[in-house]
This record gives sequence, C-alpha cells and structure tokens, in this order.
Amino acid sequence: MHYAFILLLFTFIEICISEEDVFTEELLIKPLNADNVYTHFHFTTKWNVPDSGFSSHSRIFPRILGEIIERYNVQELHIGLTNGLWRYEKWGYPVVSASPGGEIWTWFKPDTKDVDKNWKELTNSLSGLLCASFNFIDSTNTISPEFSFRPQGIIDNSEKVNSSYLKYSSLPREIVCTENLTPWKKLLPCNAKTGLGSLLNSGYIHNTRYHSLGLHLRRICTDKYCSHTGLELQQTISLVYDSKTLGTRNWSLIKFFGQGILNSCDLAESSTIYIDNKMNSSNPFRLTLKPDEVITSIRGGTVSEFAKYNVGKTIFSVGVDYLTQKEVTINQLPVLYAHQYLSGYGKENGGLVLKITNNHWSELDVVVLQNIPWYLQLYLHTLKITVGDKMLKPIKLKFKPGKLRTRYHHLEILLRIPAKSVATVSLNFDYTFLKWQEYPPDANHGFYIGSAIISCYLPLARDFVGLPQDGSMIRDSFNASRSGYLVQIRTETLIVTLPTPDFSMPYNVICLACTVVALAFGPLHNITTKRFILKVKDDRTLLDKIKAKLGINLKKKED
Amino acid sequence: MKGLEQKNHENRNSPWIKCIYGRLALLCLSAAAIRYWLIFFSKYQTTIADHLEISTPLNSWKRVKEGLYLYSIGINPYDGDMLHEIPTSLFFYQYITEKLGLSTGVIFIISDIATAIILFLATRHYMFLIYVEREVNKDHYAKETDEYLYTNMDLGKAPLYVAATFLFNPYTIFNCVGFATTVFYNCFLSMFLFMLLSRKAYMSSLFLSICTSISFYSIILTVPMWLQFHKQFKGKLRAILSVIFFVMNFAVLLFIGHRLDNTNAFFENVYGFILSVPDLKPNIGLFWYFFTEMFDHFRELFIFSFQINATILYLIPLALKFRNDVFLLITALLYILTIFKSYPCVGDVGLVISLLPCFKHLFNYSQQQFLIFVIYLVTFCLGPIVWHLWIYSNSANANFYFGVTLAFAVAQIFLVTDILFVYIKREFCLHFGKKRKIGQKDAILVLE
Amino acid sequence: MNSIFQIPSFIIIFIFSFIIISQCQIETDWAKKDHTNNWAVLVDTSRFWFNYRHIANVLSIYRSVKRLGIPDSQIILMIADDMPCNPRNPRPATVFNNANQHINVYGDDVEVDYRGYEVTVENFVRLLTGRLPPGTPRSKQLLTDEGSNILIYLTGHGGDGFLKFQDSEEIGSQEMADALEQMWQKQRYNEIFFMLDTCQAASMYERFYSPNILAVGSSLVGEDSLSHHVDPAIGVYIIDRYTYYALAFLESVDADSKRNMAEFLKVCPKRDCISTVGVRKDLFKRNPKDVPITDFFGSVRPVEVIEDVVIEPISFISKNISVEETPKIKKYRYVPPLVNFDQFIQ
Repeated sequence: MHYAFILLLFTFIEICISEEDVFTEELLIKPLNADNVYTHFHFTTKWNVPDSGFSSHSRIFPRILGEIIERYNVQELHIGLTNGLWRYEKWGYPVVSASPGGEIWTWFKPDTKDVDKNWKELTNSLSGLLCASFNFIDSTNTISPEFSFRPQGIIDNSEKVNSSYLKYSSLPREIVCTENLTPWKKLLPCNAKTGLGSLLNSGYIHNTRYHSLGLHLRRICTDKYCSHTGLELQQTISLVYDSKTLGTRNWSLIKFFGQGILNSCDLAESSTIYIDNKMNSSNPFRLTLKPDEVITSIRGGTVSEFAKYNVGKTIFSVGVDYLTQKEVTINQLPVLYAHQYLSGYGKENGGLVLKITNNHWSELDVVVLQNIPWYLQLYLHTLKITVGDKMLKPIKLKFKPGKLRTRYHHLEILLRIPAKSVATVSLNFDYTFLKWQEYPPDANHGFYIGSAIISCYLPLARDFVGLPQDGSMIRDSFNASRSGYLVQIRTETLIVTLPTPDFSMPYNVICLACTVVALAFGPLHNITTKRFILKVKDDRTLLDKIKAKLGINLKKKED
Repeated sequence: MKGLEQKNHENRNSPWIKCIYGRLALLCLSAAAIRYWLIFFSKYQTTIADHLEISTPLNSWKRVKEGLYLYSIGINPYDGDMLHEIPTSLFFYQYITEKLGLSTGVIFIISDIATAIILFLATRHYMFLIYVEREVNKDHYAKETDEYLYTNMDLGKAPLYVAATFLFNPYTIFNCVGFATTVFYNCFLSMFLFMLLSRKAYMSSLFLSICTSISFYSIILTVPMWLQFHKQFKGKLRAILSVIFFVMNFAVLLFIGHRLDNTNAFFENVYGFILSVPDLKPNIGLFWYFFTEMFDHFRELFIFSFQINATILYLIPLALKFRNDVFLLITALLYILTIFKSYPCVGDVGLVISLLPCFKHLFNYSQQQFLIFVIYLVTFCLGPIVWHLWIYSNSANANFYFGVTLAFAVAQIFLVTDILFVYIKREFCLHFGKKRKIGQKDAILVLE
Repeated sequence: MNSIFQIPSFIIIFIFSFIIISQCQIETDWAKKDHTNNWAVLVDTSRFWFNYRHIANVLSIYRSVKRLGIPDSQIILMIADDMPCNPRNPRPATVFNNANQHINVYGDDVEVDYRGYEVTVENFVRLLTGRLPPGTPRSKQLLTDEGSNILIYLTGHGGDGFLKFQDSEEIGSQEMADALEQMWQKQRYNEIFFMLDTCQAASMYERFYSPNILAVGSSLVGEDSLSHHVDPAIGVYIIDRYTYYALAFLESVDADSKRNMAEFLKVCPKRDCISTVGVRKDLFKRNPKDVPITDFFGSVRPVEVIEDVVIEPISFISKNISVEETPKIKKYRYVPPLVNFDQFIQ
C-alpha cells in the first residue's frame, strides 16, 4: 500500500515538475564562407523557480549548478572557455562571442554581503566543476566593468544596475580540451549519450579552427507581465570547421562529428537542427536531406532562410553537397570589427594599440573595455584616440589604475566613431620587473594580456545571429527585429615578454650584494671606532715574521 | 674674529676674487646652453629621460605627468601606483607647468643653475668656516704642516670648483636633461646646506623638512643640523628647537599633503614605496636585484637590515667622530645614502660629487683616486651598454647590469671611505706632525 | 487474492535469505581486508612538449585505475602541461602511449584536477596532508580516511634525493617522507603504494619512515630511467620503459583478477628497463604475495547491506508544496543591453 502511494506520488511530482523545467536542444549550422562552416550547439534549460531560492528538486536542471548559484548568491553567470580566435572580418558575428582562453563574469544579487569572498569561492567551485584554472581568479585579476556589461536577464524593477556586484575576469592563457568538455557534457540531461549531445566527440571538436564552450545562466520572465521568474541555463558549443582540415568541401554531420545522431534525447522537448541557406546563393549547394520545414526570417532588414530538421528516434545525419567548383566570393565586411596589437620593441616599454573599424554609413557608439594586467604600468596620459589624423574625444572615460600585485587596470572608453572610419586607441606602458618567485615555470613563454571587449548596440542585423534579450533559443531569433542588436567583439589576446632575472642566481646575488655592504661597513667601522697611533716599524720580512710565529709555537710545544 | 673677517674681506676684494662672479656667470651660462641644446635641439631628450639610471619610479617626470593628468580628469593619482611624489610636490609641479607658462625644460634648467649658485654660496660659507678654523688653530698645529693646510687661493677657488663640478658633470647634466625631479630635490637640499652653513636655524630646518617630505631618507640630516646649532648656540635648548622646528614643519607639510589628497593613500605610495621597495625596476643601487632574487620569507628581514644600513647604522658613529666638521659629516651621510638608498639615481650622485672640491686639500693623500675614477668611467659607459644588451638585444642578462651596479657601488664606497680616512689622517698629521718616528726608530701610522 | 499476496512474501523471504548469506560472506572478507576505499594520486611533474612521455605515463596509469574501478572522484590527476590540445600535437585531444596509436590514453572522458601552473610542490604536499585553503572544491581534495588505500604515482625528472616540479622547483625525499608521516599521523591512509618513474627514483623513497608503505621506483640511485620509444608522427618519446611494462602488466588485470602485488613488483626486469627497478618492502606489513593488485589499482570493496532502512517521502512532498506557496508579487524588468550614450553628452 505504501509503495503504491509512493509510486503515485512520484508520478504526480513528475508531472508537476515536468511543467517546471524544459530542456531544448538546437544546432545551428551556418556556412560562413567557401571554406568555413560554423556549427553552434545550443542547449537551453528553463526552470520555473522563484527568485527567493530553490529548495525544490529539479528534474533536468543540473543540481550542482543550482547549488553553486544559490550558495554564492549569484544572479547571473557567464562562462566561456575558448580555443582559437573568432575572425569577425571573415565570419561575421557568432551567436555568443567569447574571448580566447577562459572568461567569466558574474552578477551577484544586490543583497550579497561580501562580493569578493563569494567571487573567490565561486571561481574555486567552478574550477572544480569544469576542470579549468578558474581558481587563479581572485581580486588581483578581476575588474567590475561599469558600462560594458549589463545584466542580460531580468532584475528587480525597483533596483538600479550597480556594477559593484559585477565581477569580470579572463584567463587568456587557459587551454580548453577534453578535460573541460567532459564535465561540461555531464551537465546535459542526456549526458551526451543521446540527442544532439552525442555528436560531441572530443577528437572531432578539438580539430576545429575555433571551439568555444559556453555556460550562461540568467533569470528570465516566465509570464507576460514579468512578475514570475525562472532560471535559464544556456549551454553552448561553437565550432568552426575548415574544409581544408576536413579534406572536402562537402560536409555532413558524420564528417564533422564522426557519427550521426543515434537517438533523440527523451528529456528534450525538442531537438532541432537549422541550416543557414544564405551561402546557397554564392556557392550553391544541395542538402542531402529534404528539410522538414523552411523558415524565412526577416530580422532588422536582413532576410535569411533556414532549413529546419526535427531529430527523431532514427539515426540521423544531414549534409551538404556543393554543386559547383569553389568560387571566390567577395567577402562583405561586417559593420564593426576590431583588432589589437602591441607596439614598441625591447622589454622596457611598449604600447598597446586597438583599431576599431566602423563600416556603417552612420556613426556608431561603442564601449571599449580593456582589462590590463598590473605587470604593465600604464601611462594614461599617453592615451591617444585618433580617427585618421584627427583626435577623437571620448564621450566618457573610466579608468581605475592598477596596483602592483593587487589589482588590474580597468579602462573603459565610450566612443562615438564616425561613419566609415577606423578609430585607433593607443596607450603606452612600462614593463614591470617581478620577483623571481613570481615568474611562472615557463617565464620566457611570456605573459598574456586579455582581449579588449568592444560592445556596440548595432542598428542593423547584418551578419548577426545572436539571440534577442527576451529569447532563449535559436528559434527565438527568427523574425526577431528589435531596436538594436548587441554585439560584443573580443579582440586578440596579446603576449608580452617581461624582462627576467637569472633564476639560478639567488645565492650569488645575496652574497655579492652583502659583500658590497660589508665593504662599506669594514672601513667605516675602522674609521669611526679607532684612532691613529704611531707604532714602531717592524723591519722584519714576512718570512721572518712567520718563522718567529712558528718559533713561538715550537717553543710552546716543547713546554 | 673681527680681524679675521676683515682679512677675509680683503681677500674677497682681491682682483682674482672680483672676477669670480664673472666666472660663475660664465659657467652658468655655458652650462645652461649645454642643457638647453640637449633639451630643445637634440633628439636625445626622451632617450635620456627614459633611462633607468636617470629616472627611477620616484623621480621620473613621466610619472609626474601621469599624476597630473589623472588629477586633471578627476582620478586620485595615488589610487594606482604610478605616482610616488608627495601631493605638495604635485601641486608645485602643476603650478610651475601650468600657471607659470614656462616650458618644462626651462624650469629644469633654471632650477639646476640655481642649485649650482646656491651650492657656490653654501661652500663659500664653508670655506670661510675653514679659514676661521685655520686662523684660530694656527698655533696648535705641529710644525711643517703647511702642506696640509688650505691656501687662501684654494679657499677662494673651491666654491667655484663646486659650482663647475655641479654644472658640468655628466651625472647632473643628464639628471637635468632627463627631467628627473631630483633636480628640485637637489635644489632644496642645497638650500638646506646654504642655510645651515649660514647659520639660519629656522630656515635650514624648513628646507630640511621639505627635503625629507620628498625623500624620506633626508631625515637623518637632522643629526648634523642639531650638531651644527648645538655648536653654534652653545646651548642645548636652541639646538633642540631647530629639531622641533623641523618636526613641526614636516608635520605641516604632511598635513598639507593630506588635505590636498583627501585620502591617506599618498603615505603608502610615497613613504611606503620608498621603504618597502615593491617596484624592482633596476637602478644604480643595490636593492633591485637583491630583492628580485630574495627568498620570500627573508624579504622583510633584509628590507629592514638594508634600510637600517642606509640610514641609522653609520649615522651615530660618524656623527660622533666628525662632530666638529658638520659639512664633512653631511657629505659622508649623503654619500652613504646615495649608495644604499632604495631608489638612487645619477642626480644624487651628481650632487655629492660636486661637493667634493671642498675637500680638495685631501685629494693629494687619497690612495684610490685612479681606481675610483676608472670605475666611474667604466660603469658610466658600460651601464647603458649592458642594459641595451639585456633588454633590447637579448644577448646579455640581468647579471651583467647587476655587475655594473655593484662596481659602481664599490667605487662610491671606496671614494667615501678614502676621503674620511684621509681626513682623520690629516687631522693626526696637523697635530702631531708628519714625522713618523718614535725616538730614533722608524714608526708607522696604524689605526687601532 | 491469496496468490497475489503469496508472491511478494516469497520474494521477500528469498531476498532475506540472500542478504543473510551474502552478509556472512562479507563478514569473512571484512576480516581479511582492512581497507574500505581506494584513492589514487597521479602526478606528472614536468612541463614542455618534449616531456610528452611523462604525461603519457600518468594518463596510462589513470586509464588503468579507472578501468579497474576507481571512480574519477577518487582520482586526483595532476598534469603540469597540456599535451592533448598542444598546438604541436598532430592529433588534437589525444595522447598515445604507443607508436601504433591504438590506445588514446587521454580518452573521451577525463577529468584533470590540477593542471598547468597548479602543479606545484606546495599544492602536492597540501593535497596529501589535507591542508588545503578553505573553498577548495571536492575534486581537488584527497578525502581519505584511515581505511583508504592510496596509490601515489609520480613521474617527471628526478635526481638523487629530489624530484623536479615544472623545471622550477623540487620536492626533496625528506619532505616527501615527512608529508607521508603527517598523513599517517592524521589517519589519512591505511596503506600506500608509492610508485615512481623518474631517474634515481629509489632515492625518493629511501627516507620514508611511516608504516604501511610499499614503494617501487623505476631505477636505483645512480641510475637513469629511460624512455621506451619514439613515435615518428608525434616526434617525441612517448612513454617511459618502466611505465610501459607496468602498463602491459596492468592491461592483463581486470577487476576480479587474482594477480598479486609480488607479481607487479617483478615487472620490468633489467633487460627490459635497462635500469634496475627498486622496491622497498620493509615498511609494508603484509607479504606482497598476499596482496591482490586490485587493493591499490582497483576499487573492489566489501559491501555491507543494511536492512532496516525507512524511506520517508513526506518531507519531499512538503518541500514541493512550500515552493508553490511562495509566489511573490514583484515586478521584474530587462535592462537595456548597453548604456545610453546620450546621458553622457551635455
């Protein structure tokens, strides 16, 4: 009787909860140009859970993440682990941009007492969760950007955005490999065994030109009036395949991932694949499988067409066969892109140059965020922003100077870049000489500077595939015309070689320097504590003296 | 005493002395011309200014500019760690660069020339003191010791030599051309010397407090100041009063700094920086490589011992030994500071070198002149070369530069100990003659 | 109706009798074995591409112990550099320990707990002694107790009395011995199998003085440990001799194998290894012949079945209800994605 009751209860709970969390999986495949194909996995878990906390059990939502965000009072969490650089000029904009290496930014809830402590512990937990070196993040390499990041999810209507609850840090040196993918996959409900997740085979993923793991957690509205909230987890993987490494231009899921989709994930509400048909006009191709549906999306004046496939229980693979020989197409440059590089030579001083190109026919407002390590000593008075020969005055400048061994430099510049122009932001710095124990084991490899982030609310959606703020899934981005489209461009990370001491010298240096000190001490001691006296000159030679001394000794022995 | 002064007055009116001012003016003009050319017409100004021998984190003009810029856009310059000047200095620089409307180079040249003139005046006072001492003690000296004494000519010429050494030694020229703020420090320090030697208790304590607020190490000069006024006033109270003046002035300066800054961040950024040596950028001193290579758990111990070594270790013994010659004591202390302070620069070296002509009468008996001169010359050339090899062409490493700074420190140590040694030897000879005989036997002079 | 009730009762009787029998068995097993859980600490101490073989070594052992049943949560894997995704690796996300490239020891399911710069002497000693800073995640802690058998495997470059970490620091044999003694005093292990594949490996365990440690090193003092072979496709030596042969042995072992540690200690005779494998048995109380290899390399543990467990689902329901009871009337909003520039323009 008891058992029957429990069983009944479980089914009841199951029904209750299954309404509460929903999991969808999507895959967007977009041929970027003749050679590169962009595949973007988008796993979304939505969970109707109140803001006050969630003591209830989730069905699909990864419990470990729930515990972490509740324990550290996290409002919003964004993690990126990326290998490779997204080439904006050639590839347009990604769905989610990420800087090379590890990147993490978090909004804590406004009632958090000690944000720094929570941040440190949160990064520690995440380093354990994702096998990444996030534990190296602490207050010394964290900044709180004021303008570049805003909460992507909802906030309480009565509250203002306060950037002191935001922590941003990046680990440009972080390497992303299977050891990060494994725990990431374990957060998926179907654990990469079935559904789209089964495509994620490490050998194939790491063979790409660009791969990026993402984990984005935010609060969303669950009703029309936005009085109920829920938690949304977006897990993304972006990959850019190169036909040169694949060997052929024709691609298919099997070629990309080594296998097709074997079975659908039962826990997923929907499993969908979208293939962008845009390149079909310049490089015509034929889909190997007839799409279930063709979606035409008009967004910000740009029309695009997607072939949609619903993944079912059967083995599934889809691909593309190109109909013509490779044609060189003129690459239309995106509206905004940026590059960063170092100037100067030697290890004494150098400069940091950021070039932002505005291809739009009108001026664009951009926010530049630079997160510069303390081992570069910045001279803000050398900051020069030019467009051509003319100086460009920043609309606002926010600078929090760094401090040796305690804080990174935080520089944010609000710029209005004129139409069709290139703005150059340059800045000079000195290299710092560190203590020998502060250098990493491979000191001569160099030290990294994280990427600059250029945020812009673009007026048009050309090359834009990102999700709207109120959307959680790729399908929400179809026909989603808004007043603007937020892009965040992340530039190259840089590497500087700091001057190094000789690591094998500590004892020698200590001895030599102390000898010099003693060299002063001896004579000064003599001069100040002794006085001159005349003494009878000893005419004996040195040999005589020695003999005399020995003689005394001999005598003593005879005694 | 009056007779002496009259005699001295006669000396001053002698034709040679008359043209001394003309010579000084000529020296100043030509020195100014050299500096002016280097700053405004040669392309080496920035190269010189960027050189680490000239600009340390404490005195680099680039950092002052950064501080002024940050201040102008409403960011507290002491929030970061680019600026290690006190707020009062910062406002002084702001005033002279913005309000006076002179170009920076001109200000630096003027203050360097002013320093030379003040040093000239200060050493004239010193020479007068020596002259007085000679005349007073003439009868006490042993026979045949005239060669140890100054000639009147020497006394007259020495100040001019001092000015010339200051104006034309490459260390000071580079210091001025490189816009190191040590130029201003030197100016205040020479003012202190001038006021001290012209026996103005309050003014000297004021200038010493300014020096101390710029570079904390100058605090040890209160001891010679006290000695001087103790001797002068023949009373303890007034001598102590000068020290109290110093403390009060210093406190006022700090308070002004605090009011200007509104936070106390500058304490940590100025004095904390000088004392705890966080920036290990190489300089001509001994600290940088020593603390780069130091094991972390011994760091505090060695920082304490090195700072004590630079300041109070030699202060008391030297003050006891040379209490009669305050100027020599100050020179020795400045020299020791230049060798052992945490961020020394060539400007400090330039100043102490230019004080040496005052002790010209000792040179003949010093033993290591040649060695010291050669090391100075070699390190002066080799320093920048090995730096370039290490930092720019990657074909040398830090040890090379460290070697050069070690040699430089050794040369300076030899110089200061040599002078002190010769000084006490001369004292001995003046009083006991230069005969080295006890009865009929040959004898030698030993320290015991 | 009767029959319906009879079936469950039969089943229950059956289960009970099974439990009683199995418990008897377990009890006897229990007496023999005094360890309750298995842990592994696998450390690669060297960085740089030319040390590929050390990472292959450690990953090979990792793969074996995982295959023999130690779960990832009880394996602490420390790898000082990234070989699988190193730009020089011709096949990304793989590490091979054999020129034929048939076993990818890195695999598709791997969790590295300490990586890159985290692999330091300090972290290693802290891990062993359990003196980690607060906030360290569980996966980076060695949560052992007095019933834990630990396999410690170290590989890297060593010398007489030390082992280098990342070419920049080293752990001395005395430090190592003291760390193990601290573990013993803190009751952090039952038995340790200490395995080293470095040059002069024997020098590292010579100073051990804590009980219940069985140590094996790939070479004696004064000897070098040598690598096994080169993979021309990868371009570097890919595995060390001792680990290669130890692995060959372990491949023949499975979870219920009866092979013992004495056999394992004989692995890699001098003709194969070129160096002499050193063994230290004097601290170990048992005869290695009686110790199954799975005592260290596997996780075969006795299971105790508890009968009187009461499941109380009530709290579960109440919680669920309480969630539904707390909807708050609050309004929320989305924030514009970027600051408005006009507010800064006068």
